[in-house]
Amino acid sequence: MNASASSRIVSPRASAEQLKDPDQLIDSVETFIFDCDGVIWKGDKLIDGVPETLDLLRSKGKRLVFVTNNSTKSRKQYGKKFETLGLNVSEEEIFASSFAAAAYLKSIDFPKDKKVYVVGEDGILKELELAGIQYLGGPGDGEKKIELKPGFLMEHDKDVGAVVVGFDRHFNYYKVQYATLCIRENPGCLFIATNRDAVTHLTDAQEWAGGGSMVGAVYGSTKREPLVVGKPSTFMMDYLANKFNITKSQICMVGDRLDTDILFGQNGGCKTLLVLSGVTSLSMLQSPDNAIQPDFYTNKISDFLSLKAATV
Amino acid sequence: MDGEISKQRSEGNISSQPLNPQNTRNLIDSVDAFLFDCDGVIWKGDSLIDGVPETLETLRSMGKKLVFVTNNSRKSRKQYAKKFNSLGISVSEDEIFSSSYAAAMYLKVNDFPKEKKVYVIGEEGICEELALAGFTSIGGTEDGKKTINLRPNFLVEHDKSVGAVVVGLDQYINYYKLQYGTLCIRENPGCLFIATNRDAVGHMTNLQEWPGAGCMVAAICGSTQKEPIVVGKPSTFLMEFLLQK
Repeated sequence: MNASASSRIVSPRASAEQLKDPDQLIDSVETFIFDCDGVIWKGDKLIDGVPETLDLLRSKGKRLVFVTNNSTKSRKQYGKKFETLGLNVSEEEIFASSFAAAAYLKSIDFPKDKKVYVVGEDGILKELELAGIQYLGGPGDGEKKIELKPGFLMEHDKDVGAVVVGFDRHFNYYKVQYATLCIRENPGCLFIATNRDAVTHLTDAQEWAGGGSMVGAVYGSTKREPLVVGKPSTFMMDYLANKFNITKSQICMVGDRLDTDILFGQNGGCKTLLVLSGVTSLSMLQSPDNAIQPDFYTNKISDFLSLKAATV
Repeated sequence: MDGEISKQRSEGNISSQPLNPQNTRNLIDSVDAFLFDCDGVIWKGDSLIDGVPETLETLRSMGKKLVFVTNNSRKSRKQYAKKFNSLGISVSEDEIFSSSYAAAMYLKVNDFPKEKKVYVIGEEGICEELALAGFTSIGGTEDGKKTINLRPNFLVEHDKSVGAVVVGLDQYINYYKLQYGTLCIRENPGCLFIATNRDAVGHMTNLQEWPGAGCMVAAICGSTQKEPIVVGKPSTFLMEFLLQK
């Protein structure tokens, strides 16, 4: 009897271990993928010890990649944010879900004569432009009003071949109707979501309704599940593993959210480290309602430095 | 026997029959009351569907009770009665059960405390019915004008006494309302999340279908990761309520 034919018993993942020996973790991987909100910064404030930590990893020859579900900015705009915060990070190291949407369309050879309707912000528009893809909608449609009265009809462009939905602070009924008409009436029209995060830290004062809300709205009126390009979908992981020629088991994913960052890392077959400097607390991690267990957890990424110092 | 047939039908075992003169008569004779949906049955947007007034007259003259049940939460029962009258059909408020009314009745039936408030993501109909039932509502169409400015340290204050968020069709939906509703549900202990209905689209105007309450409700599901209590069709709340009445 062939041993490999025997059934695999999938045992529940062991509980997350508190990170005690950062050197071991660092030496065991080639690449670190960092989430941004809650890991590198909170709103517009840098989290303590981040620059030194990134410098340490680079000095050890580690590749650094930054993956964020926040689609409001393009990679270029994120590059500027890193620069403003005094961090040495290049555009090529940044993968925002706005970029992911454009990269996805490119990867499926989205026809040049088709357009994309955007329920979302500038970041998505900029990335589509860079990828040579025509678009409609975006923040401008936030001004458009509709009147539900007799004889009123909304026209929509029959050449829209995909609707991309992400976080949109200018969300309104006009946009939902436009997106709904495209998805329901244009044959083969794709419904792509940058991400489905329920809440997000747009300002550090409060949690804010996230992309999951806008995506939910369009799902609610079309009854169609979207194709998600951001975490925890592995699209971005596959993309950058391919681009940089990295083996996924040689990657450590570092994030503050269990259902996006950690799941993203696990789905990709990477090591995972949860930091408690963002939206997840220790009690949330250890709660009986939580089924997602990262390999390790620690307070913040600068623990790579302080724990090292402690063990010396 | 009838119960068995309905059960089989709902299990997909008996297919629907088209009406013909014979079975129509049988159908009419076999029931005491007719429950009519409105959008797509009585009217389309603001246009009456052909032959409706005569049909309703006939049924009334045969002694049948007529009840109008609509998932459309934009108007109150009073406003719907006005709509019927303006279309030349005589219907009283008591014969109408809108999902706006259902939301208010759900809170009444479940002894929602009068000192708590209700945040409304929806239009006038919901606010009117809540007021008629003696509840205090905030939000509604007013909040359609509010904007948010995501600068550092900016936050939306929310009323801690909100004990329920009612979500229905809202053509003035915006981010402020999504955020307000989300904060109440996530942060006010025990805050209820009530949906008037979850229809994906509806004929809000006669020419085209438009996103329905299902859209706004799913938006809030997306940001709270909670499922709502649905008071409109196909939930049985409305049916049980009117059967009792």
